[in-house]
Amino acid sequence: MDAVGSDVILSIKDVSKSFPGVRALDNVSVDVRRGTVHGLVGENGAGKSTLMKILSGVYERDAGTVTFDGQSVEHTTPHQSMQSGLAIIYQELNLVNKMSVGENIFLGRFREMKGMRGTHAKAREILDSIGCDIPTTKLVSELSVSQKQMVEIAKALSFKSKLIIMDEPSSSLTGEELIELAKIIQQLKGQGISIIYISHKLAEVFDFCDVISVMRDGHIIDTKPTGDFTRNELIAMMVGRTIENEYPPRPQCVGAPLLEVKHLNTRKLHDISFTLHYGEILGLVGLVGAGRTEIVRALFGADKVRGHEVWIDGKKVKIRKPRDAKEAGLGFIPEDRKLQGLVLPFSVECNITMAAFRKFSWFGLIRKSIEKGIAARQVAALNVKTPSTRVPVRNLSGGNQQKCIVGRWLELSPRVLIMDEPTRGIDVGAKYEIYMLMKQIAERGGAIILISSELPEVLSMSNRVLTIFEGRIMGELLPETASADEIMSSALGMAQVTA
Amino acid sequence: MIKAEMNTGLGAPASKAIGPDAPRRSLQGVVTFLKEYLVLIMIALLVGITAVVEPKFMDAANLINIERQLGPLMMVSLGMTFVIIGGFIDLSVTGTVNLVAVVTISLIQPLGQVSALFVGLGLGIVCGGLNAVLILSSGAVTQAEALFLTFGMSTVYSALALLYSHGSTMHFWDMSASKTLFETIGSGKLGPFSVSFVIFLVCLALLWAFQEKTVEGRFIRLTGGNKTAARLAGVNIARSIVVIYILCGFMTAVGSIVLFSRITTAAPTIGLGFETNAILAVVVGGTTLLGGKGSVLRTVMGVLLVTLMSNCLDLINVSTYLQVAVKGAILVLAIWLDNRKQA
Repeated sequence: MDAVGSDVILSIKDVSKSFPGVRALDNVSVDVRRGTVHGLVGENGAGKSTLMKILSGVYERDAGTVTFDGQSVEHTTPHQSMQSGLAIIYQELNLVNKMSVGENIFLGRFREMKGMRGTHAKAREILDSIGCDIPTTKLVSELSVSQKQMVEIAKALSFKSKLIIMDEPSSSLTGEELIELAKIIQQLKGQGISIIYISHKLAEVFDFCDVISVMRDGHIIDTKPTGDFTRNELIAMMVGRTIENEYPPRPQCVGAPLLEVKHLNTRKLHDISFTLHYGEILGLVGLVGAGRTEIVRALFGADKVRGHEVWIDGKKVKIRKPRDAKEAGLGFIPEDRKLQGLVLPFSVECNITMAAFRKFSWFGLIRKSIEKGIAARQVAALNVKTPSTRVPVRNLSGGNQQKCIVGRWLELSPRVLIMDEPTRGIDVGAKYEIYMLMKQIAERGGAIILISSELPEVLSMSNRVLTIFEGRIMGELLPETASADEIMSSALGMAQVTA
Repeated sequence: MIKAEMNTGLGAPASKAIGPDAPRRSLQGVVTFLKEYLVLIMIALLVGITAVVEPKFMDAANLINIERQLGPLMMVSLGMTFVIIGGFIDLSVTGTVNLVAVVTISLIQPLGQVSALFVGLGLGIVCGGLNAVLILSSGAVTQAEALFLTFGMSTVYSALALLYSHGSTMHFWDMSASKTLFETIGSGKLGPFSVSFVIFLVCLALLWAFQEKTVEGRFIRLTGGNKTAARLAGVNIARSIVVIYILCGFMTAVGSIVLFSRITTAAPTIGLGFETNAILAVVVGGTTLLGGKGSVLRTVMGVLLVTLMSNCLDLINVSTYLQVAVKGAILVLAIWLDNRKQA
């Protein structure tokens, strides 16, 4: 670890950083060598982003030293760190959509490039050097995600970057685009440029990286050459314990029909009818935009519906708004945790209790002690990691935020829990805990409608799967017997299948 | 900036000192304290400086004057606080003050003073309710949409006030009917305090309890914090919207009645400038325009600051034009600080 030679481009020593109530980084030390791809993995909240933000100058460190390219780095700003040759490409790319590719690469530096002609010429040169043939005059808004990424990389190269940090670069890339990215990473490496590669997708990390560092709870757990890691070992280090399986065994307790939806129609949905049973996990599979979310939103009364019937336990219920759905025993965990689920600046307590107000209201007055009790009970039951129930829910990691929303509904013991992308953007350990919760809910007789873009997740957790294509139910399959290919082709509208 | 972000939570505790960097934390604590009590500090500075520069400021006559001036703006701003916590805004208060004033005063003669009082308060509720109905039925969900709608309604209410009064000003001394009730509200005393001050204290206590202790108060906060999330959790946000506008309309009516009772006169333009002053007071007090966070107690400080400032500038003979410029600058500064805190 202590090999400080000329081949070390970036050396981080004993760096610490605290936020109120959270020790985000605790004596973190790591060296990145020239011309290597250095993988950085860890659960959400492990401290990866904090470390990167310290490097780029967004945050200031509390203690420790950072040496970049032989020079000690003090009080840097994002712009200065870019100038010094350290570039970061964020997950949400920072490009100006209404400007051309060339303009974006040299944004704010047109004069140095001797006008627009020089800008475009130089941009062409850089793009050619990474084998990218996008016209420099094309508007960024017309590019695909992977092309935008190329532009970001070109922008980094234009600063003569010696180290490029890529934060979740593959999260929205298709398979082919990923191969392109791999090629470019190889080329950059060939030019002696170092890369810090942050990703949740372990397959890529193993493919691309020469060295991997694992972070957990603000510490670097280990740094080793990629070849010295096994996949299971890596996961175990990330979560701090061994996980034999990524998914718990699927619950087997499907009972009598509980919820029946008949002839659900909206502007996007056509005659959706299905039945959900006691203790069942029903997966909805389809492409993004196929109508999965629309179905559950319509069922929950969040969107306008053109006339449908919902029966619960043989009784017809009218659901016109989310309140009706809640009264009928439905719970809804929306797909966008931050925009639709949480009130980010409010306390953990307030976010957990917001659906259960009946329980702590006495003639319209809040009974504080009961409310506290509800929050404490759910925090304990779901193992939410938070310094107190009074901190803003914004300060929690993604997985813990999601648990707060799950707890909000579990407090009401709903009969049907709708979970739309319940594990999006949360880490392996928290995912497993969410799966276990789903299993428990089902085993206690509750039913779950699960939507997920991760096919393995739906297939491993659901008892039954409905495939959705262009607002219609295409097929009904049992994931225990059907193959993933069968299910996918049904979801792509290629074949009508019934179980 | 991240430090500010960490402190915007609802009832978030002050940051605890942990680990070796405790001294830094305490410095941060001082900064947080200053930010939190900026308005109080400004009030203290203002009072201190003016008292030295212009001794007349501390005269009993001037203090009584200030206490009287506070009343109407206080009432309107308290109502406005809930609208802003709920994530909306109400520009119609000017029109409501105008309409309630001319209608109430005109009814003292034909209906008697008690009935006139109740009609006046009821009219405030109707105006607020109408705003809410318009906002809900038009499907307006953003503060900007509410801004335009209520601005339009302000014009409507003001025009109705002009039509109703034929543009003329009505005076107490023109009336033969008993108006002791309004005279008491305007200039009566209850022990050492004026009646209007006691009305203010009662309103403040009730509204504070409503804000802190009731489920409806919580719903308003949730609506302002994140409408979508609140609705999906089964909160009746339509009801919250109705409640905040009716509350604002009612408090505006109270403010209007206190105002014309004090000056014993009601002109159809009596409410001029109330909407900007009320919003100024609420925002300067520290209630964020983004919704979700704020308090009636903060608004009280905001109103104090705004009123004291007018009074001080008057005393040291600053021209009215310059006073308006100063007010505008303070509003911009308060919103600028508010935005920076959120960024």
